[in-house]
Amino acid sequence: MMSLTSYLLISLVLFIVGLVVMISRKNIVAILLGIELILNAASLNFVAYSRYVTNNLDGHIFSLFIIVVAAAEAAVGLAIVIRFFQIKETIHIDEATQLRN
Amino acid sequence: MIDQLFGFLSYYVPEIISIILMTTLLVAEAAVKDDQAPRLKIHIFTQIVLGVVLMTLFMNLDEKPLHIFHNAVTIDPFSTLVKIIMTLGTMGAIFLSHSSKDIYPNLKSEFSLMAVGVLIGGMLLASANNMLTLYLGIETLSILSYVLSSLKRDDSTSTEAGMKYALYGGLSAGIALFGMSHLYGVFGSIQFVDMITRVQGLQGLNLAIVMISFVMFFVGIGYKISLFPFHMWTPDVYQGSPIPVTSFFAIVPKMAGLAALVRVSFVFFSEGSALSVSWIGLVLVIAAMTMTVGNVTAIGQTSVKRLLAFSSIGHVGMMILGVVVMNEAGVQAILFYGLVYLFMTLIAFYVTSHLSDMYGTDSYDVFRGLIYKHPVMAIIMASVLFSLAGMPPFSGFIAKFNIFSVVIQKKHYGIALVAAINSVIGLYYYMKLAKTMIFSKPQGDELVLGFSGLNQTVIILLFIPVLFLGVFWDSAMSLAGNASIFIK
Repeated sequence: MMSLTSYLLISLVLFIVGLVVMISRKNIVAILLGIELILNAASLNFVAYSRYVTNNLDGHIFSLFIIVVAAAEAAVGLAIVIRFFQIKETIHIDEATQLRN
Repeated sequence: MIDQLFGFLSYYVPEIISIILMTTLLVAEAAVKDDQAPRLKIHIFTQIVLGVVLMTLFMNLDEKPLHIFHNAVTIDPFSTLVKIIMTLGTMGAIFLSHSSKDIYPNLKSEFSLMAVGVLIGGMLLASANNMLTLYLGIETLSILSYVLSSLKRDDSTSTEAGMKYALYGGLSAGIALFGMSHLYGVFGSIQFVDMITRVQGLQGLNLAIVMISFVMFFVGIGYKISLFPFHMWTPDVYQGSPIPVTSFFAIVPKMAGLAALVRVSFVFFSEGSALSVSWIGLVLVIAAMTMTVGNVTAIGQTSVKRLLAFSSIGHVGMMILGVVVMNEAGVQAILFYGLVYLFMTLIAFYVTSHLSDMYGTDSYDVFRGLIYKHPVMAIIMASVLFSLAGMPPFSGFIAKFNIFSVVIQKKHYGIALVAAINSVIGLYYYMKLAKTMIFSKPQGDELVLGFSGLNQTVIILLFIPVLFLGVFWDSAMSLAGNASIFIK
């Protein structure tokens, strides 16, 4: 029997891994993957709380919305990355240096 | 039950019209393809429908606060006034997009389409009454903004701007969502109305979790209105995006985010609890940092777009001081500031856009000696810069004065001093630009062609409120005052 704490720990680990991926990886697609990990951590939290604590469906519905929004965000993000790749022929984040002080 | 839902729809007419407009634009855009002639018609149609949205919003302005759709959405004068400001901003940006060369001719209807989409997201955010609506509002706003900022798709800076926006935006939305999930766990509901009743009884671990979660939640909103530690994307995105998009970003998402910040602050932190003291402290520190960073960094800029980006950061820092005081007068000051800021920003971006279209750059040099070439526009632009700096007799002075008066009434003398110092710094860089326009000799003697008769008329029409609200502010103040009464 899994307890609420195990779910919360897993989601916390997912969240931290997502943050670390976003900060440390230089590949833009990997950074987008980091965002997905963070969103999934939040989604897992919602479902776990819904099941163990609140006993209402708010959390389940919220996580469905998160999935939809994450898909839309990934679509737009990847489309922009493709444009970036077509112009610069790289998806290394350090190449995005045209806009600076 | 069903009857009730349909009854609620009558309060939701502005949003419904906007959604229908967006769908129509999507179809129309696909139908005209590369044919240029119908685009003017689409443009006029968009403006007319947005005018209708504005009218329905004005009709909603007298409604008592009402929670509709199972408490998901609040319709109250406050959210309606914010929606009016956002709709005006959208109309202004769409008008600018039509004459701007910064947007490819075959993407002009697409700009209107996505601007209306962002407006819908902003409306959702301004009247959000539970966490799901708030999240959806932020995301509708953000996802379309990413597309808008990379609208100039063959240009590497624009694509880079869109990419940076998307990455920062995704991160901050994720952090905010993680905070929201823990708030849901502690409060047991996503409805604000249920959450308020449980705020007071929090203790121990739950209180700690809630505090951390609210800070995470603050990241999401703070990023949208570019508050201090989350402002890094703002200058890059503003500089990289086409100018109509920049003018749009400076108004619509900011007002929506501010509305959400005001609502969240008033819903959860209006009592004198331990939580509310720490929240006010947080907002106070962030406001001071935001103003200082925005104004100090603006000094060294050479790109006018970037300058306006930093100045907008400074203005938002000033506006959220109205949240710190936690009373109706503060909200009234924010709304009045937002209304005035709308007109000033639009004019500043209009003039910058026409000049940058002509010279192909937006550096200070294009403003050199504008008064010799185009006296009327130069005087209007100089007055707007004075107004942005907060000099009387322009409306920017009254807006700043209101903020100062509510802050000093609550005896926050320290932050008032910081705001005063920032106003002086702001005066310096605005006057530097005004000096370039008036006292420098023009480089060449070519005429400025960008200002067509229609463009000039619109700029002058927008200038009337900037001047008028600085002298006769009573009507606008009472409008903002009425809107702020029901905020609690």
